[in-house]
Formats: sequence, C-alpha cells, structure tokens
Amino acid sequence: MDLVSGYKGMVGLVFGNDNSGSNEDSYVERLLDRISNGVLPDDRRNAMTELQSVVAESRGAQLAFGAMGFPVLMGVLKEERDDVEMIRGALETLVSALTPIDHAKGPQNEVQPALMNTDLLSREAENISLLLSLLSEEDFYVRYYTLQILTALLTNSQNRLQEAILTIPRGITRLMDMLMDREVIRNEALLLLTHLTREAEEIQKILVFEGAFEKIFSIIKEEGGSEGGVVVQDCLELLNNLLRNNACNQVLLRETLGFDAIISILKLRGSSYSFTQQKTINLLSALETINLLLMGGSESDPGKDTNKLTNRTVLVQNKVFDYLLLLGVESQWAPIPVRCAALRCIADLIVGHPKNLDTLSSKVLGEEPQVEPALNSILRIILRTSSAQEFIEADHVFKSFCERNSDGQTMLASTLIPQPYSMTNAPIEEDVRMSFGSMLLHGLTLGESDGDLETCCRAASVLSHVLRDNIQCKERVLRIELESPTPSLGASEPLMHRMVKYLALASNMKNKDGKTSTKENSYVQPIILKLLVTWLADCPNAAQCFLASRPHLTYLLELVSNPSATTCTRGLAAVLLGECVIYNKSGESGKDAFTVVDAISQKIGLTSYFLKFDEMMKSFLFSPVKTTKLHKPLTRSAAASMEEIEDVDEQDSSDHKNEDHPILSSVFDSHFVNFVKSLEGNIRETIVDVYSRPKSEVAVVPAELELKRGESDKEYIERLKSFVQKQCSEIQNLLGRNATLAENLAKTGGSVSSQPEQRTSGGFDRVQAETLRRDLQEASQRIEMLKAEKAKIESEASMYQNLAGKMESDLKSLSDAYNSLEQANFHLEKEVKALKSGGASTPPDVEAIKAEAREEAQKESEVELNDLLVCLGQEQSRVEKLSARLLELGEDVDKLLEGVGDDMGLPEDSEKEED
Amino acid sequence: MSYAYLFKYIIIGDTGVGKSCLLLQFTDKRFQPVHDLTIGVEFGARMITIDNKPIKLQIWDTAGQESFRSITRSYYRGAAGALLVYDITRRETFNHLASWLEDARQHANANMTIMLIGNKSDLAHRRAVSTEEGEQFAKEHGLIFMEASAKTAQNVEEAFIKTAATIYKKIQDGVFDVSNESYGIKVGYGGIPGSSGGRDGASAQAGGCCS
Repeated sequence: MDLVSGYKGMVGLVFGNDNSGSNEDSYVERLLDRISNGVLPDDRRNAMTELQSVVAESRGAQLAFGAMGFPVLMGVLKEERDDVEMIRGALETLVSALTPIDHAKGPQNEVQPALMNTDLLSREAENISLLLSLLSEEDFYVRYYTLQILTALLTNSQNRLQEAILTIPRGITRLMDMLMDREVIRNEALLLLTHLTREAEEIQKILVFEGAFEKIFSIIKEEGGSEGGVVVQDCLELLNNLLRNNACNQVLLRETLGFDAIISILKLRGSSYSFTQQKTINLLSALETINLLLMGGSESDPGKDTNKLTNRTVLVQNKVFDYLLLLGVESQWAPIPVRCAALRCIADLIVGHPKNLDTLSSKVLGEEPQVEPALNSILRIILRTSSAQEFIEADHVFKSFCERNSDGQTMLASTLIPQPYSMTNAPIEEDVRMSFGSMLLHGLTLGESDGDLETCCRAASVLSHVLRDNIQCKERVLRIELESPTPSLGASEPLMHRMVKYLALASNMKNKDGKTSTKENSYVQPIILKLLVTWLADCPNAAQCFLASRPHLTYLLELVSNPSATTCTRGLAAVLLGECVIYNKSGESGKDAFTVVDAISQKIGLTSYFLKFDEMMKSFLFSPVKTTKLHKPLTRSAAASMEEIEDVDEQDSSDHKNEDHPILSSVFDSHFVNFVKSLEGNIRETIVDVYSRPKSEVAVVPAELELKRGESDKEYIERLKSFVQKQCSEIQNLLGRNATLAENLAKTGGSVSSQPEQRTSGGFDRVQAETLRRDLQEASQRIEMLKAEKAKIESEASMYQNLAGKMESDLKSLSDAYNSLEQANFHLEKEVKALKSGGASTPPDVEAIKAEAREEAQKESEVELNDLLVCLGQEQSRVEKLSARLLELGEDVDKLLEGVGDDMGLPEDSEKEED
Repeated sequence: MSYAYLFKYIIIGDTGVGKSCLLLQFTDKRFQPVHDLTIGVEFGARMITIDNKPIKLQIWDTAGQESFRSITRSYYRGAAGALLVYDITRRETFNHLASWLEDARQHANANMTIMLIGNKSDLAHRRAVSTEEGEQFAKEHGLIFMEASAKTAQNVEEAFIKTAATIYKKIQDGVFDVSNESYGIKVGYGGIPGSSGGRDGASAQAGGCCS
C-alpha cells in the first residue's frame, strides 16, 4: 500500500475537502471514462491507479464509484485478461471500493459506501463467477486481490455469496485449490473458506469432499501444531466450521482420517510450562473441536445420538483422556480457560457412557509412588481452586460421572469413612494418600476450624451428586457419624446434622459481615440446601434423621420466612420442609407429617409458604429461559482481545439483575430445577391431602352409634359419652386449624386477591374450611341427637322414680297399719296381764277366757300379718326390680331411695325403742 | 485406518431409485424400507480388499431431486467412480439415464468409472425395464452393468467391489496419475503405488471386507 501514500498528496490537491461531492463524482466519472475510452494503454493504466487511490481515500469517491464504476471494471476484468497490470489495478480498485474507510466523524445512519458496494457487486452471480475464474491466473497479485475481494463480499453478504458459489460449477474446487498455493495465498484462502463455510452445510460437505480435512491437518502440522501461530488458529476455526452440527462430516473424519490428528494437537510439545496467548487460543480451538464432536450433528438429525455415542467411544479409544487430563488436571501451567475447557470435554465424554465412565474411574495420575486416581485429583481441584469457573467445570465432571451411574456412586460412597478428628483436621496438603471419601469428608468439615464454608459447600455439591437418585448411597451416608470437634463436648453426631449446622452457620456469617460479603457467600446456603433436598428425596429415613433434632424444624421454619435470606434460599428451605411432609413415614407424634404441616401453617401460613415456591420459580435460576451459556466460537477478533476467556465471576454479575451468585446457575442444572418443580406439585398435593384427611382420633362408624345387642343402657350411654367427648376434642382441634386457615384466607383475600396463584391457594383454604364446617355441622347434629336421647332417658328415669315413691308411700301406710295393729295387740296383752294379775284372786275361768281371747286375737292378727307380709313381699320385689332398672339407666338408686328409707326407718326405729 | 488406496465414489440417479438404500446396505448391511429423502449429500465409508490390498471407499450419496443438481454436480469432478442407479420397476428412471450420463461426462473427469445399476431386482414381477435393455444401454455407453437389490443385498457388495476393481486395474494400467488427487484416488500409507504396474488384470479380484 505504499503506492497509496504516494498518491495521497495528489489526491489531496485535487480535493480541498471530502465534502465536495459533485467534484468527486465528476472526477471519478472522468477517470472511468479514461479507463474505458482511453487509447493509450499507459494513460488508461494511470487512470486506473488514480481511481484506486481516490477510492481508497474518500467515502464520496467510493459512493461515486459504486454508482458508475462496476460495469467498467468488470468489462476490464472480462476483456483484458492479457493486460496483467490493468487487471491488477482493477482488482485493487475493487478491494478499495469494498473496504470501509474509518471515519470517526459522520453520523451513524449515514450510508456505508463499502457496504453498498459489496451489495452491488454480489448481486450479479456472473460477477462472482468472473472473480472465481481469476483465481486460475498466473499472477500472484491477481489471485491475492481476488481472494480479498471475495472475502470482503462474504463478510457483508454471506448468504448471497454462498448461494452463488454453490451454483458455479467447480467454484468451491477452485477455492480449495488455493489452499495448496503459496503461503500468502493459502492464508488468505483459509480466511475466505472460514467465511464461506459458516452455517452452510452443503458447502461444508463439498469442502470435505475436496479433501479439506487432509489439507487442514497438514497445514497445522507444518505450522507446528498448538505451538504454531495465527494460521493454526485459522485452520482450527475452519475445521470447527466444517464439523459444527454436521454429522456427515464428523462421520467422514472419523471413518477416514480418524480423530488422531485432532487429538495430537492437544499434545503438549516442547515447553509444557509456557503458554503464550496464541498457544492458549490454539488449544482452546482444538478443545472446541473435541467439544463439537461430542455434541454430534444438528438437533434435527435422526442419527444424532448414535453418531454422538460413536464419537465419544472413538475419542476415548484414541486416548483423548490422557491429553485432557494433562491439560485440565495435571498441568500446573495451563491457563484456567484451557483447564476449564478440558474438564468440560471430560464431563461430556463420560455422561451416560458406561465404558468411558469405567475408563475415567480407572485412570490414575502422577508417577509412582505418588499416584492417585484421576477422580481424586479432580475432587482436589473442586476443593482448592480459586477460580469459580474451574470449580463449576470440575463439579460438572462429578455430576456427569454420577448421572445414571449408580455403580459409580456406590463406589464413591463406599470410601466415605469418617476418620478420627485428628486425621480429618490434618492440613489439606497431606491428602495425596487419602481416599476419595476421606478427602470429601475432610472438605465437608474443613470450615469448622476457620469458619470458611466455601470448601464445605463445594464438597456438599459433590456429595449431592453422589447421593442423587441413589437410595443405597443416601442410607449409607446417613449412617456416617462425625466426632464432635471438641470431643469433651458431647457425643458424635450424624453427618447430616453437621450439614444443617453449617447451613445455620452460613446465615450467621452473613449477618455478621454485613452486606459486602452477602454476594460472595450467597451460594453457600443454596448449595447446602441442594444437598439436603437431594438427600431427603424419596428417602424417609433421611427425613426422619433430619427431624430427629427438634431445632432443625424450628430453624428451617425461620429460614423460610427470613427476609434477609435470598429468594432462592427461602424457596429451597420451603422445598426441604415440604420433603419433611411428603417423605415422612414417621408415626411418632411430634415428628410426623401432621406436625410439620401444622407447624408450617401456624408459623408461616400456608399461603406465604407456597408463595416462597412461586417466588423461587420466578427467579432467574429457575426461569426456563436460562440456558447453558453458549460458547461463541473463538474468532480472530475475539481471541485477540482475550475477553472471551476471562473467568465467569465478573461477567454475569452485571448483566442480569439477579441476586444469586453466577455459580448457582451452573450448580442448579436443569435436572435439579425440574426435580424441584416436580417436588413442588407433590408437596402441594400432599399438604392438601393431610388437610382433607386429618388423622382422626375417632373412627365414625354409623353402626356403632346404635345400641349393641346385649348392651345395657348404662354401658350404651357410657360408650356414647366417651365417643362424644373424643369428637368434641377433635372438633376443637379442627376448629383451631380452621381458624388458622380462615385467618390465612382473610389475609390472602385482603391483600393480594388479584394474583391467580394465591386465589387458587385461597380457594384451597376455602374448600378446606368448607369441609371442616361440614364436619362440624355433622358433629353438632350428632350431639343434638344424643342430647334428645339423653333427655328421653332422663324423663323415663324420673317416671320410674315417681312410681317408686308411690310404692314407698303404699308400703309406709301398710307398715303403719301393721304398727297400729301391733300396738293394739300390745295393749290387749297388757290388759290381759293386768287381768291376770287381778285374776289371781279371781276364779281360774278368767285365765281360760283370757287364753281363749288371746288365741282368738292371735289368730286374727296372724291372718292379717300374713296378708301384710305377702303384700310387702310383692312390694319389695317391685322396688328391687325398679331400682335395678334405674341403676341400669345410670341413676343413683341408693341416693334416690335415701329419703324413702328414712321415712320407713323411723317407725321401725321407734318400734325398736318401744320394744 | 491404513489403506493402499482411497477411492471416492458418488451415487447418482433419479430420486427414489434406492441410492441411499444401496449405500446403507453396503456400509451397514441393513435395509431400511422407508428412507427419508436425501437432502444434498450424505456420506458413507467402508474398507474392502482387492488384490490383497486394503482399499478405502468414500461414498457420497447424492440427492436425486432436480433442485439439488447444482450442489451434487460439485461432487462429480473429484470422484473416481460413480454408481448410476435406476429402478427396474420405473421406466422413466431408465429413460433419464442419458441425461445423467451427460451431466457426468460434462462435470466429471474423463477417466471416471461408471457402474450402471438396475436396482430393486427383488421386484421382478413389477419389472418395467428388461435386463437386456440395461445391458444394451451399458454396452453402448461403455459402462459396467449389474442388476441389484438393496433389499435382499443381492449384487450390492459386488457392484461396489467390481467398480473398485475396475479403478484398481486402471491404476495398474497407468491410466491415472495417482499423485493428482483430483481424480478421486489417493495413495495411502499401506500401499506401494504402481509397484506391480500393468501386470495381469485378473489378479484384481474382489476379496472380503472389513469396516
């Protein structure tokens, strides 16, 4: 471009300033006229050179050229193939016309002449065909400029160019041939082909048919592999374009060249400790290639899954693990982005692939005698890395390892054996010989001493993968008891209780440190909660273990309504509470599902409890739009600024207005989110269930309300009474619950009645209340009925009482009569005695008469007494019968008869006294 | 992965004649009665043995529909062999052979080996093109001919291998400049190019296969 600067002065002379549009127009027109109509070849060549420099300089000239110049230059290209200088000039002019001139000034919406010109030039398919034909020219500059023009056209009108080139016979073949040209042309062609293959499946296939893979790999090898320069990066970008979403090309690479060539780029050659920026980018591009192979073909391809699976198998057969582990785990010098990308590839290689899972779990790293399983090394990265992104990717490896791999989970869980406190508290540097489980337990409890729960929560994340969907592992880990940190204080406690303790500790720490650290630590609680939620799922024993300590429930209830906790924390706490209900098989009162539900409705209120779910579901973490961040291909420009490969930490925090830490959006993967969503429905259902079918203390069987055969009235009454009493207390309970619900309902109806989901839960309350009211009504009706029955029985009893009173008085009068008779008899006897004493002097006849009279009287009274006794006997039996009946009816007969007895007793007493 | 030679094939012919099924039968040894319409081109590969030399076949199965012609033409030049397929139960697919052949002659290299295949030979009761007509057409245009069935696998293996054997013989006869990859032939690491040049062609026998 030295020529350009040479002419600069001249152009500057011609144009005082850029704005004299008409001047430019006429100048460009004059030059074009000289080119097309000039007689002297030299004059025409000079005109072309002038035109080129003016177009390279000014936007106005670009515009003017676009309006008039194309037919003239195309004519030159078509007709004057022999005049190399003319052709060169014309092509260079075209390059200038298509190259945007950087003007800081000028309004944004101004027409971009370069853009307009590319559009004009690419409109004619014939032009493209003409340009492609120039690629066969001998002259180096002709080919070079032509490639530049095509690249410029592709940058601005990609689709049109792609279509045009497809329809030109052997068009792509010509471009491919440029890859075998001399270096400058080759590099230019690489860029062109990279543009050409972007999202154009058919072009990608044709390129591959033309042997693109072989050529790309041979250039990479020539340039020194990952140690090479930007050309290697361009090659890899082209390679990635050819493989992205293109199963056909992936199969071809696999079946023809194999994956060795791409894997060997990952091999660290030479200085394994120096990672220049270019080397880093090259490695990242090669890892992206592996990643594309792992993703398989496009989404719509029916054979996608088989292709994906085969790619994984073949990659691992080609020992890709060795290189990935070297880059991702072993190399201390690899930059974090490279390590992360390697870990991501490892995770994608193993997920759902039993054979690869086995291969990874049997890999050992290091040299004898310091070897350790690769998984342990990855765990160490999780526990120790200072990069959030690296933690996420390493954690993802374990997530993938545990997914649908219960054997693997069991294998990991089997090593979870608590060590004596002194051991677990050993410095973390001495963990090379530790088993996976010991290292994990160590990590879980590490925060104990220094109050830093970061490591603990990372370990908790790993543990939740180990436990996920695996009941055996859950049960096994439940049995783990940890020694108390200060052995003198209390006995050992279950691991789960320790985790709850850390959960509580995490919120305390937050409160203490104030707002600044809230953001930093905002993922500790959710991750521990995730562990607990995963643990309790489908595991009644875990729920029981959680509830075994009374304060746990209290703490959880507090956490749900704690305003300083994040939406996510409150929501997850609510989910955990819900799990205590649905997976609660305990019958123990105070720890059963009913207690938990009652506690929820009393301490939180059902409406606001469910509101916590809704809030969480609406939060960013659970929103369906959250997708795993797509990795933008490393383009030259992006790579140059290296922004792309920065850590995740800073990136996310600003763009979403979400209070949750970016780590959480990775930890809360779609599986967990869906699981929580399904749990939510389950929890709602179960709570409704608990309310609609309260654990009734009294079974209401209608048949039992009737008098049983052979049951005495008294027993019957007793039974009914106790039944009524029990029902009464239950009604009391229900009323209490009903009141809570009604209160809830009132609150809901008052404040936020417009929100539909609350209306539904309010409706649920109403239904609940309705059921309770109906129950209540029924019960009170039953009471009324029983009352009436009781009254009837009472009146019957009083009737019998009256009857008994009458009998009593009858008896009394009879006994009175008997008494008077007795008295009369006594008088008579006295008389007789007196007569006898008097009669001693009197003749003995008196004695006889007396005896006669006595006999007579005796006879008479005896008859009368007999009658009386018979009567009395009858009366007696009647009384007996009645009192028995009264007794049956529950009347206190003795009391009832007390008065009667007294009445009767008196005369007898007096009789005795008289005796 | 080592091979003596690598041959690029294309499969061409009207839509619905069974091109994709022939490829599937050859590479996967299975038949799919309902096959999606091919969009653009699909790829398949298999290793065969000829004259005790491992030979890799890369096969591009093209869409038969007219709308894809401009795309599929891009594959002609770089192919060493072509399977031109018609359907013996559909006369019109046979009638179109001339235009296919013209296309091939125009865009492919002159030494491309073309094998004419009358597919669906299992449907003899619905035959619309006689074997003799096929033979006659092949003879007139210098093609190798075979009737085959992608369904029963009859002659499928033979068709691909015989084409390869023909190409192999042409190499032995020195017809190709094997160092020029634009003929659709590539010399692999496992082979000694042209060492036995121009010897007895009968040694080019179809052997077993390994994929």
